[in-house]
Amino acid sequence: MESPGPARWRSGGGRLRERTEDVLNIIVLVKHVIDVELNLRVRDGKLVEDGMNFVLSRWDENALEAALVLREAGEGEVTAMTVGPERAGETLRKSLAMGADRAVHICDPATEGCDSLGFARILSKAVARQPYDLILAGRQSQDTDMGGTGPMLAAMLDLPQVANVVEIRSNDGGKLTVHRNGDHGREIVDLTLPALLTANDSLNEPRLASLRGIMSAKKKPMEILTLADLDIDPAEVGQSGARVGVAELSPPGARAAGQKFEGDPEKITRQVMDLLVNEAKIFG
Amino acid sequence: MSKILVVAEFKNGEIRKPTLELLTKARQAGIPTDAALIGSGVRGAADQLAGHGAATVYLADDGALERYSSAAYLPLVTQAVEKSGATQVWFSMSETSNSLAPALAGRLDAGYVGGAAGMEIDGDDLTIHRPAMATKVMQKMTFLKDGLRIVSIRSGTFDLEPAEPVTAQTVDLELGEPDARVVVTDVVQEVQDDVDLGEASVIVSVGRGVKGPEGVEEVRPLAKLLGAAFGASRAVVDSGWMPHNTQVGQTGRVVSPDVYFSIGISGAIQHMAGMSGSKLIVAVNKDPDAPIFSIADYGIVGDLFKVVPILTEEIKKVKS
Ligand SMILES: Cc1cc2nc3c(=O)[nH]c(=O)nc-3n(C[C@H](O)[C@H](O)[C@H](O)COP(=O)(O)OP(=O)(O)OC[C@H]3O[C@@H](n4cnc5c(N)ncnc54)[C@H](O)[C@@H]3O)c2cc1C
Ligand SMILES: Nc1ncnc2c1ncn2[C@@H]1O[C@H](COP(=O)(O)O)[C@@H](O)[C@H]1O
Repeated sequence: MESPGPARWRSGGGRLRERTEDVLNIIVLVKHVIDVELNLRVRDGKLVEDGMNFVLSRWDENALEAALVLREAGEGEVTAMTVGPERAGETLRKSLAMGADRAVHICDPATEGCDSLGFARILSKAVARQPYDLILAGRQSQDTDMGGTGPMLAAMLDLPQVANVVEIRSNDGGKLTVHRNGDHGREIVDLTLPALLTANDSLNEPRLASLRGIMSAKKKPMEILTLADLDIDPAEVGQSGARVGVAELSPPGARAAGQKFEGDPEKITRQVMDLLVNEAKIFG
Repeated sequence: MSKILVVAEFKNGEIRKPTLELLTKARQAGIPTDAALIGSGVRGAADQLAGHGAATVYLADDGALERYSSAAYLPLVTQAVEKSGATQVWFSMSETSNSLAPALAGRLDAGYVGGAAGMEIDGDDLTIHRPAMATKVMQKMTFLKDGLRIVSIRSGTFDLEPAEPVTAQTVDLELGEPDARVVVTDVVQEVQDDVDLGEASVIVSVGRGVKGPEGVEEVRPLAKLLGAAFGASRAVVDSGWMPHNTQVGQTGRVVSPDVYFSIGISGAIQHMAGMSGSKLIVAVNKDPDAPIFSIADYGIVGDLFKVVPILTEEIKKVKS
């Protein structure tokens, strides 16, 4: 497998570029996803498209907010990048309106049916076209709830990776200190850039796009690329290259409401206790 | 030939229960299975893995591995996969595997499915059932190509059969130079309770309804009495009333205990995504229209400050 290596040493045309300490170029991976706050209906193993809405995935907003805060503290550019159909352009426009400087849209029908590995493969080629110090992704996307793409991409690029970041502490001469929620506590990690982070929603409160932001977004550069532009064989990605796929969807196991008790606290609590003991038998 | 590598998790001197659940399932599936055990002071636990059916334990035991870092662990797991010749790698779903398992897939160009809540095994044909879209749908996923399969599986998906330790056959993994690009300088232990959310059969969780740290302390005795793990909603964690590691939900811990007590939690989809797999749900909330009641088996509409002390007293009576 090809590994493009840390791209911050390259710029267009492969020229070497010396890193300047306080310049931080950041790529944020944003995904246009089904709005899961709405009611979702499943019919014949598929989602009913009627009434479905698409949004910028929530955790990607956290990733973008973190990028904007870092950029505001120094210099550099924030690039929002997505792989998706034409409608995904909306998510890029929103990212630009929130404050990203430029956007890259990999838009090619052959990306249809991509699994996370396919998205990561495409993104690995796309990020290598520009200098970067940091890549930010969401902890998971709202539609897959998987969180595969970020760590996969980091491994392909041989970048250090920290997933589930809840705090970014300092940016000091090409180093970051980040906190991640791990299994045994809050892990405090010193990182040498370039690196990849995935954002937890506790990382920050994403800003709303201002009217001025929305207006200026229209003038910001948006690059649209095909797989051919990235030298990717369409057979390697999309449906034909996917290692895993969703065979079908079903509604979640019906978890119906049980019994609800209202009235005198003493009385209803005893009633529930009685059920816990005699019906649910939770005390053995 | 199919072969499974189970990547073990270790805590407080022992292999964690979710790892043993995976080994139990692998044994039932009749597929040869190895294990990878990485950490500090873990060597002694290899026999526990062997007792549960790991033919060979690939071992990396070093002080430098005390704390998880993707940079240190990824090369070791990669080595274990290559040495064992596994065709499937099974992780238990955790914050470690959420970072490590997809990285392994990226490194080895393999398919990955995370967060399985059910899995059918026919040799290397795996059919995985997992919730997605904030648990609003169940996905049935399959592997479409030959090659390595990597999965992570939620705790409680498979039953654990106890087994006695036997002397393990071990193979040491080679430690490389430490990767200076990533240094874990500290792990702030936040959880003061001894019952692990991921392994508990009973969980008591508190929401913003407890109003503050004092309210948390009014519920804690209930958890203690039940021998339950003590969890929280994000609102509680964000307010600093409970440590981060206690958050239950889509971006906190995903839990599936036998009984889940929800105290003063509204039941936002992101919270329910983390606990709707519980076998029995008991909810206390003063708002009769709180969404949590739509999934609770027993709902108590009332003031938690009145209900919880009564509940605690009643349970004391039953227990004595
Ligand atoms: C991307 C994203 C990810 C998220 N991930 C998570 C997650 O992992 N976990 C999580 O929990 N949340 C998560 N959230 C937040 C979630 O949306 C809710 O905001 C949160 O769960 C609310 O917590 P709560 O129910 O404790 O608080 P509230 O919604 O404020 O509810 C408090 C409840 O307490 C009840 N109450 C008040 N006083 C009493 C009383 N005296 N007696 C009884 N009941 C009382 C009220 O009726 C109310 O229902 C996430 C949000 C986003 C956007
Ligand atoms: N098609 C895509 N385009 C851009 N970024 C993506 C895409 N798919 C996934 N990502 C990034 O990877 C994260 C995790 O996605 P997932 O692996 O689907 O859970 C998302 O939050 C995004 O940051």
